[in-house]
Order: sequence, then C-alpha cells, then structure tokens
Amino acid sequence: MNCELAHEKIVLAAYGELPDDQIHELDRHLTACDGCREEREQLLALRTLASSNPVIEPPANLIARSRVRLEEALDALPPKRWYERLSTRLVNNVASLQAAPAAALLLLIVGMGAGSLGGYEYAQARALRNESGTPPANAPGTPQPLANVAPTEVASISSIVQQPNSDVVEVRYNQLVPQRMQGSLDDPAIRQLLMMASEDAASAGIRDDSVGLLAAECRAGHSCNPAGIRDALMVALRYDRNEGVREKALKGLEPYVAQDMRVRDAVLEALLNDSDARIRSQAISILEPVEADTTVRQVLSTVASSDQNPQIRNVSRQVLSRAPEIQ
Amino acid sequence: MDGPNRAQERLEVRAPEMELIKQAQAGSRAAFDALVRQYEQQVLRLALHLTGSEHDAEDIYQEAFLKAFRYIGNFRFECSFYTWIYRIVTNLCLDQLRRRKTRREDQAILLDHSGDEIDLLASVSDNRSFSNPARELDRKQLGEKIQAALGKLTPRERMVFELKHYQGLRLRTIGEMLNTTEETAKNTLFRATKKLRTQLAGLR
Repeated sequence: MNCELAHEKIVLAAYGELPDDQIHELDRHLTACDGCREEREQLLALRTLASSNPVIEPPANLIARSRVRLEEALDALPPKRWYERLSTRLVNNVASLQAAPAAALLLLIVGMGAGSLGGYEYAQARALRNESGTPPANAPGTPQPLANVAPTEVASISSIVQQPNSDVVEVRYNQLVPQRMQGSLDDPAIRQLLMMASEDAASAGIRDDSVGLLAAECRAGHSCNPAGIRDALMVALRYDRNEGVREKALKGLEPYVAQDMRVRDAVLEALLNDSDARIRSQAISILEPVEADTTVRQVLSTVASSDQNPQIRNVSRQVLSRAPEIQ
Repeated sequence: MDGPNRAQERLEVRAPEMELIKQAQAGSRAAFDALVRQYEQQVLRLALHLTGSEHDAEDIYQEAFLKAFRYIGNFRFECSFYTWIYRIVTNLCLDQLRRRKTRREDQAILLDHSGDEIDLLASVSDNRSFSNPARELDRKQLGEKIQAALGKLTPRERMVFELKHYQGLRLRTIGEMLNTTEETAKNTLFRATKKLRTQLAGLR
C-alpha cells in the first residue's frame, strides 16, 4: 500500500467506511510508516476541532414558525385543475403499467375486442337501415314505405326476421310520436313529466329547467310529495353531470334537511363527493340546522382535514367549533 | 375541538409511509402534512447547521416542502422517500452555498432569525468551560475558525463534509442524494478533509 492510498483509507477508517479486512491492512502499514501515523493524528485532531461547531436541534419556535409559514403557502396554492390531476394519474398509471406488461397487453386485447364488436354492431345497424325489400304478407302493422319514417322518430328496433332463401328481411320497430302538454305546476301529470325530465332529458338545459321548477315548488312549500319530487331532486343532486342542475336540486331540498334523514344523507354525500366547490360549500350552510348531529359532525370532521379547497376546510372547522358535541 | 388533530395523529401513527405517500399523491393534504412532520426536524437540523442562520434554514424548509408538494406526483418509489426529500434539500442548500460564495458573506458568526448572534457553545453543556472563562473563549474562537475554514470549501465539498461528518450519513447515501456515485462522494470527502487540515494546521 502506498502512502497516498493509505491517506485515503485513513479518512475512510475515521468515518467508519473502511471494510474490516482493509482496516487490518491499513494498521499494518501504519505500524511501519511514521508519516502516515502523523497523518492519522492530524485527521483525528481535525475531527475533534470540527466538533466545536456542533449540530444543534432546531428550536421549537423555529419548527413552529416554519410549519405555519408552510401551511399558509400550501393553503394559498390554487387547487389542481382536473386535467392536471388526470394527467398526473395517467402518467403514474402508465409508469406502473410499464412494470406490468402482461396486464397492459390484456388491456389492449380487451380494448381491441370491444372496439371491433362495437364496430360490427354499428355496421349491422346501418345495413339494416339501408335494406329496402318488399315487406312480407303476414306483417301485423301496416308496413310503411321507409321514405315516410325519419330515422330520428324510430324509438327502438324490436325484431329482425330474414325470410329463408331470400334477401328479404322484416324489421319491427317502434316509432316516436312527438306530443305536447300544457298545464299548471300543481297538475300531477305535469309534475310527473317534469320529474321524468329531471332524469331523462338529454339536454342539460331541459334538466336545469325541470329541476329548477320542481325545486321552486318545494321551497315555496307547495305540495312536495315525499315519494315523488323530493326523490327526483335527490337523484339530480347525486347523479346529474351538470353542476347548475345539482345546485338547483340542493336548494330545493333545503327545507327538508332537518326532518328527512334521506335528504340529510344526500346532502352529506354531496358535501363529501361533489366535484364542485360551490356545491360543497352550500351543502355546509344547508346543514346548519343539524350541525349538532353526530353523523354530520363526522362528515364535517373528514371534510375539515381532507377537502381540496382551503375555504371549505376552514368553514367546516368553524362549524365544528361552534356546535357543542353531543355527549 | 380536537377532531381534526386527533385524526391527524391517527394518520401519522397508523399509516406506513408508503400509504401516506400514495394518499398525498392522490391529493390528501392531511397525508402530506403527516409526511412533513416526519421529516421537518431533520431538514431544519441540516439547513440550520449548514447555513448557520435560522432565517435561511426557514427559507430552505419552505422551498423544500413546497417543491415536495408540487412534485410528489413524480415520486415513483424507486428510492426511499427520505433520499428523495434529502435530494431536494441538499440541492437547495447547495444553491444557498453558491449564492453565499458569490456574495462573500462572513460565515464565522451564527445568527438567529432576529439577527442576534447565537452562542452555539452555550448550548453545549461542559462543566469545564463554565468554570474556566478563558477556556470558553478559546472554544468560541475555535468554533469561529472552523466556520471560516468550512467557508473556504467549495459548495459540494462543504455539502459532502456536512453530510458525512455532521449528519453521519454513509457515502453511498450521500452519492444518491447528490445524484452522483459513491466514488465521487469519497473523492470529494478526501479533498474536503485535506483542505480543512491545511486551513487548521496552525491551531495545534
């Protein structure tokens, strides 16, 4: 071992990084080499001197100050947009998929299969629509020439029968007949249609109108049949994709949160799960009459610590501190 | 009202770290806060000793955990979270050291956040120094000399020496944290100790 190498090993040994067999070798060298022994003395002296600059534990008030400042900064950050969360999730999923090639391959095969099946069925449907043949003699209804039936008026296809050894096919279908009805909001038939509209209508605008009207009825204290309109509003609050519709539904349910446990549960669910912060915020204020309830307090407690939105967390904490706990 | 605090404590005690990290990645602020509490003391200890300033240590703490919050989604469990956090902190410390080098600040004196000098050695209990004021003065001067000598190292040499000598980390870990090899960390340590010995040769 030359002295330059020995000097390096002396440093490693002093810091506990030299393997045991090399320590023995170094010791043998040191016995014979005055220069290297002096080097070791110097290094040990350096370590002693360096201890006159000891590491101190951070004082408690420094930790507290730092923590508070960090919390404020984190609270001030804007919440992640949905596309940021989605892209993070996608990137993480892709990264974890890289570690599971078999699962990835299976996913691909299933996806391709589903796509092919969908394409096949679509092509079949198109072929049937374009088919023009003489209708069979034993057809029940009066067969209409296809030109009279617009595709949008066909509600559904109920059967397809091909005549043997021919290219003639019989198709039975149900037709949509547009209708209109006019009446007052007290009319049960109108209400029923409005309730259907709240769930069924394809356009958010129509759902919005119907839920708005139903909610107004409930708030005004008109007969709001528990088995009917309230249900429709709860369904809208839980499932509608449009936040304006959900907001109207929430407002309509407000008068019932104290007396109806199902309404209370629906509002609590909205507080926990709704993606729109305004709706979660309104849910808290609507729950005010029942803020002493144990279930409500449990949910508020969860929201106070885990909601994405800092204002909502703050408001939850305030409400919790206001109402005394039920013993 | 201690509901949220108790929930926080339960989170810290029960959830193993990996679970906490996954929850934090999913957006749980409580999980991230629990992670901060697990590492904040070590982060501050390192930053405080390296910079000698409570104010600077606080800044490093702030930047490190904000960065961790921002990039936690990128953590892939390929190294330990401890290494990941320390990597962020050491990089910030290196930046600090480089900034100081260009400003040529005097490193010999420790300052607390209000700007008053901290007498480091007063926090080290030693009966002999209390009974012997002259010796206490010697030790304080020694401390200042060491600080000055450390200030003459390059930021990387200072960093490696800090992590090895003062924080007691293994060279392999130091290499990971500084995104380099164990061999490079070793050589940096050799250079640092050589320089320090030269600086302090006159004191014996």
